[in-house]
Amino acid sequence: MTESGPRSEDLLAHVLLPVAHEEDALATAEALEPYHPDRVTALHVVEKGGGVPDKTPVEQSEELAAESYAAVRTVFPDADEHTAYARDVAGAIFDAADEVDASAIAYRSRGGNRLMQFLSGDLSLKLVTNADRPVIALPRVDEGE
Amino acid sequence: MSDEELAKDLGLISAMTIGIGTMIGAGIFVLPGVAVNADGGAGPIVVVSFVVGGVIAMVNALSVSELGTAMPKAGGGYYYINKSLGPMFGSIAGMGDWMGLAFASAFYCIGFGQYLAVFVGLPAVPGLNPIQVGALVAGAIFIGVNYVGAKETGGIQTVIVTLLLSILAVFAVAGFFSFDYATLAGNEGGLAPGGYGAILPGTALVFVSFLGYAKIATVAEELKDPGRNLPIAIIGSVGIVTVIYAILVTTMLGVVPWPELSQDAPVAQAARVAFPESIGPVTGIAGGAAAVMTVGALLATASSANASILASARINFAMGRDKIVTNWLNEIHPNYATPYRSILVTGGLIVVFIALLGQDIEILSKAASVLHLIVYALMNVGLIVFREADVPEYDPDFTVPLYPLTPILGAVLSLGLVAFMDGIEIALSGAFVVVAVAWYFIYARNKTDQQGVLSEHIRSREADLPDRVVGAADAVAPNGTGNEGPTIMVAVSNPRTESALITLAGAIAQHEGGRVLATHIVTVPDQTSLETASENRAGLDESSEELLAAAAADAEAFDVPIETKTILSHRGIEEVFDAARTNDADTVVMGYGGTRFAGGRVEGSLDEITHDLPCDFLVLDGQRLDLSDVLVPTAGGPSSDLSAEVAGALRDTLDVDVSLLYVAEPGEEEAGHEFLSGWADGHGLDDANLRIETGDVERTIGRLGEEYDLVIVGATERGLLSRIVRGSLAFDTIETLDTPVLLSERPSARSLWERLFGGR
Repeated sequence: MTESGPRSEDLLAHVLLPVAHEEDALATAEALEPYHPDRVTALHVVEKGGGVPDKTPVEQSEELAAESYAAVRTVFPDADEHTAYARDVAGAIFDAADEVDASAIAYRSRGGNRLMQFLSGDLSLKLVTNADRPVIALPRVDEGE
Repeated sequence: MSDEELAKDLGLISAMTIGIGTMIGAGIFVLPGVAVNADGGAGPIVVVSFVVGGVIAMVNALSVSELGTAMPKAGGGYYYINKSLGPMFGSIAGMGDWMGLAFASAFYCIGFGQYLAVFVGLPAVPGLNPIQVGALVAGAIFIGVNYVGAKETGGIQTVIVTLLLSILAVFAVAGFFSFDYATLAGNEGGLAPGGYGAILPGTALVFVSFLGYAKIATVAEELKDPGRNLPIAIIGSVGIVTVIYAILVTTMLGVVPWPELSQDAPVAQAARVAFPESIGPVTGIAGGAAAVMTVGALLATASSANASILASARINFAMGRDKIVTNWLNEIHPNYATPYRSILVTGGLIVVFIALLGQDIEILSKAASVLHLIVYALMNVGLIVFREADVPEYDPDFTVPLYPLTPILGAVLSLGLVAFMDGIEIALSGAFVVVAVAWYFIYARNKTDQQGVLSEHIRSREADLPDRVVGAADAVAPNGTGNEGPTIMVAVSNPRTESALITLAGAIAQHEGGRVLATHIVTVPDQTSLETASENRAGLDESSEELLAAAAADAEAFDVPIETKTILSHRGIEEVFDAARTNDADTVVMGYGGTRFAGGRVEGSLDEITHDLPCDFLVLDGQRLDLSDVLVPTAGGPSSDLSAEVAGALRDTLDVDVSLLYVAEPGEEEAGHEFLSGWADGHGLDDANLRIETGDVERTIGRLGEEYDLVIVGATERGLLSRIVRGSLAFDTIETLDTPVLLSERPSARSLWERLFGGR
């Protein structure tokens, strides 16, 4: 391979890992682990109401973020963390990717049927359709759903 | 922008609409018909009842504004009361707020059902009337919406409230033109057929219309510039709503004679009369107007119920954080990111209230009001406690005018209004308080570690207050100390002192049933980034691991859990403070040498940090400990309390002999002896040797210290540690002493307060 351009290693040079909560964080990090990314930044987006009160108190959201980062660090001890506050979760993920200059975004679909995905905002669709950099959909393993 | 600022996205308008949106639903759309016809007919005088309700709400709104700007925290009223009056009253307030919101939500749902029945024929189910059926359907929808957390698009609440205000404004204008004073006053009995005595019972009934303003405080942490916006939004929304109520209820009663006013859907009825049947060729105006009013009523009651369900989840969160209820309630749904359990439990209560009590809307509205009024009364008392205890952290941006008159008035008015409820509601609320207190003693007391400012205040002034007061404060004080007892953090830095520090920490932890956290803070030069440092960690890890492993081995002598941590930092002593805060340490044990690695820092900032101790500090000057006896010089004070605790712990775990020393003025040895034996008794050291000496304090300590293995000196004044750190303390005698010296400093009120507030 002599041609220039991105190589497969570059894809995992700096992976942005959006995680929702402790369990999700652990599962996502474990799903990414076999591919040995060079660097990982865990991202938690605190969903803001944007004009109406949030679904959860700020303090609780931040606790959730801290638990999620801790879970990621059990797999990637040197993972960085990044917390974003936004109404638009997908948009916040892209902004964060810009900000930390990530080579790719790796996420794990939270599953659920069409209705549940619709009600919880169908993040997968927004992520893959609007991305400005590679988005890696991690396999959902080990769950007997 | 800092993270904290990013988390704040509610502006003044949003905050205002939360308040107005919650309040306006009930007062205008549901209650006028019920209120004028209550108790055989109160008549038009209920307009005054609404205004009186507004005044009572306004006095309380001032207090909520002060508390809210001092503590912009999720939980609102519960939070303030728990912090000020302690967890027993916190339990009453939390349960009261929670149940009050559930009752209020049930009331809003019934209101929704009443207007829904105007539109669609609702079936009756055995045991439930059609309105209850409608209310249950509505309740289920509101709970479902909150369960999945379906996003209302950004400004929808603002749109709804604007729409409502416009609808009501049009109604007021139309009403003004068909207003007839004879309709208002010309009924049997004139303006006050039930006499002026009907005013306050009327207020008791309609007070539920004013329950929205405190919800702004429950989301205070999400407000931009809360110091300014919170008071404006709370006071403003109460003012606006009171004026709207007064105008619209008057209008309604000038359009429809009060004895004929509908008890179910009064606004729709009044609109049908107020609007002309036709304007020019367009007919059906009146019917259309009634329909628009009905839609408005549905929106209004829905937004009230919605806001209340969300607010109750906030209160559950705050209570769970303080362990007054189980945190199980506050789990977040993995997909919807909502506190779904809390919403379901609250939803269950709402459904039960609708089904059992929904036949009589008066009971629901009064039960909601009574519970909120109890909370308001406690909140005013809490405000006075905060002010009187003079806690430096209590620094509200907004202060109530005419203190202490305003909070006293607020408490008196709130409880006074309860007296105008019917016997059944008063009995219910009394029973409720008993249940909440029982809950505290049976469940929460053993879990929570929160202590109110009031009991701190009482206990700290033990000497000046009658025993009975102190005894009472002790009797209701919480037993819980978190899950695992206190955390004793050891900052080890030097292999030579490690063992002595761990011995002290281990003894204390074992005595208090706590745990030891051994930290090794590695100072990295400013020029090296922390990342680089962590990459080159191999060498560093080795020495750090060795040190911490030795610490863990030393701790094994004690029956305590130990955790170890390496912390990379550009800062030295400051990092110790930070680590103590983030790890929620209750006591920090460190070496004298460790305090010196601050060299070259800006003194001002360091001074500030060390003046603000996050927890108890024990600083050991000495390298090895071989303990068989200790000397504790004392003259009283919080830091010598800490010395006594340490001495007691060493006595109980390591079988060390304790001697107490008091240096008296010549000729006052007798009084000194009395003081010292009293002090020993008071600190559980009654078996200690008492030594009374005269002369220069430092020199005496220096002379006697030689005879002991350890001298524990309490900081006699605040900031001792800060002066050691800066090296400005002339403590020569003690420094030259060969015997190891342990300096103890217990934070003063300021930091104590910080501990109450979670150490931040």
